[in-house]
Amino acid sequence: MTGPMNGRDPLQLPVAGMLAGIAVAAWFGADYFGMELLAEVAILAIFAMSLDLLVGAAGMVSLGHAGFLALGAYATAAATVLWGWPPLAALGVSVAAAAAVAVGVGVFAVRLTGVFFIMITLAIGQMVHAYFVKARAFGGDNGMSGTPRFDLAPLGLDAGDPGVFAALVLVAAALVYLALLLVRRSPFGMMLTAIHQNPGRLTSLGCPVRRYKLAAFGAAGAVAGLAGALMAQHTGFVSPDLAFWTLSGEALIIVILGGSGSLIGAAGGAAVYLLLRNQLNDPGFWRNLSLPPEMADHWQLVMGLFFIAVVLLARDGLYGRLAWALRRTALAVVRRSSRS
Amino acid sequence: MLLDPGFLIVQTLNGLQLSALLFLLSIGLSVVFGLMNFINLAHGTLFMVGAYLALSAVRAFESFWVALLLAPLGVSLIGGVLYLVLLRHMQRADPMKQVLVTFGLIFVGIETVDIIWGSLPHIIDVPALLSGRGSVLGQVYPTYRLFIIALGAAAFVLLYLGLERTRVGAIVRAGVDDRTMVAALGIDIGRVFFLVFCLGCLLAGVAGVVAAPVFSIAPGMDMSVLILALIVVVLGGPGSLKGVALGSLIIGIADTYGQVVLPELARVTIYALMALILLFRPAGLIPVRSGHR
Repeated sequence: MTGPMNGRDPLQLPVAGMLAGIAVAAWFGADYFGMELLAEVAILAIFAMSLDLLVGAAGMVSLGHAGFLALGAYATAAATVLWGWPPLAALGVSVAAAAAVAVGVGVFAVRLTGVFFIMITLAIGQMVHAYFVKARAFGGDNGMSGTPRFDLAPLGLDAGDPGVFAALVLVAAALVYLALLLVRRSPFGMMLTAIHQNPGRLTSLGCPVRRYKLAAFGAAGAVAGLAGALMAQHTGFVSPDLAFWTLSGEALIIVILGGSGSLIGAAGGAAVYLLLRNQLNDPGFWRNLSLPPEMADHWQLVMGLFFIAVVLLARDGLYGRLAWALRRTALAVVRRSSRS
Repeated sequence: MLLDPGFLIVQTLNGLQLSALLFLLSIGLSVVFGLMNFINLAHGTLFMVGAYLALSAVRAFESFWVALLLAPLGVSLIGGVLYLVLLRHMQRADPMKQVLVTFGLIFVGIETVDIIWGSLPHIIDVPALLSGRGSVLGQVYPTYRLFIIALGAAAFVLLYLGLERTRVGAIVRAGVDDRTMVAALGIDIGRVFFLVFCLGCLLAGVAGVVAAPVFSIAPGMDMSVLILALIVVVLGGPGSLKGVALGSLIIGIADTYGQVVLPELARVTIYALMALILLFRPAGLIPVRSGHR
């Protein structure tokens, strides 16, 4: 499973354009809650795309990626609430802090592979969680609230407005996507793919495999920190739960759901995951299916089964399925036109 | 405070009690990891189900001892079905898929017990026979907790004898070392895996039952013990019985003392310990495999 992206992936940008179109249409049609959901999707998409750089491109399966999300979120909360920094500067601190910690622990983590890499990243993420649970300066178990959003007054806008903030994070997600796409298609990204496919050969060719993996780990951590900063601004609240390993697990599921290694798939996976969760949470959804509305309280049951199904059935994820369908349609159109 | 011998004895006993529970819980996880290279994140769920089945058994039969007999069997049955239906087919999948399928099972497990038994925490009483207090080196200590320590020690001795002195034990040891070779010798390794898996589930169930009177029974009680059990397995060396015993002792005592001495950093220290062990001894403190695979 190496992921469909290899530089000759002609569907990547069209699918991204399609998704962007859907996002814009949704933004124009959304009410208050719709805007909140859109913002949530955009932030989770940034987080999932950062994980896809690790999992999909470099084949490094991390079960502790939420640790860097939490670091970013806490850095923003601490910088704005405790030290009174402006949110934009705090965002920089978030990215830098998450990247620095990722590189620091990554030096050790990249020495391991396979299931042992999964275990050490799990330990790293849980270490962040355990730290914030006990850190009284950052509110301990209760977390911190009151993180402000960007000050857009100079532009005549108010980031406190859900529509404005949703638009802002959607643009951020689009920029992150383009940046990660450039990374993936750069020589560096190609090397990551090659390392994923055959680490032994790359090592024997003299490639400093660990250094490349470390760079990927640091970059993914930095982007996760960015997602954390935006999340802290969106909800105005941070808690140790952001670092808990189950969130890392959910992000992995999202990557697989979208299609591991397909980048835009991770964004699509985030959208599908949140929309599904939103539906399962809603008693009305169950009533419409003529099922007891109390099922909404047990939405995790269905989500758990969904996770299992995704892992068992999704070979190349939603992106892979979509690409397959598009290719088939295109072929059929070509055949029909050549016949006539 | 630290130099008070009474305090030291009581905390050490608390640590040993946690170690005994961790040992019962982790041994199944470890052997499955060692034999099949498979991380079963749902192992903690089996522990939780054991506690809940004990709750029902105690309500139905009004006897802790019946619960201690029946609940682990029930857990083992559930584990066996899970193995045959789902996990057996995951053996050749890559580690990420194994981890994530059992990750999904965690949520299914939590919600299922929530639906059946409700989300409020429950507790079951310590059996009358063990409700008293014993004296250890002059310190008063609840008999039930001493019972847990004894149970853990007894399980270790029995498993050790079973593994070292019986034919099945020899096959399991050989299977951890090199399963392909065992299969080539004409041994149905799949059946041995299945038996070992069920036994591991049984012991996780036992851990759940004996933990029930000490901890509160609630959906999600599996989450915190799962991570501790994973650390024990990695620390001791996947597949190694002595490794699990050593890992349980280290984590049980370190966690107990850590909560008292360094409450700010207790858990952080444990995760850091796991990370360090992984780095310098990826095969654990007591590695079982003779060579790299």
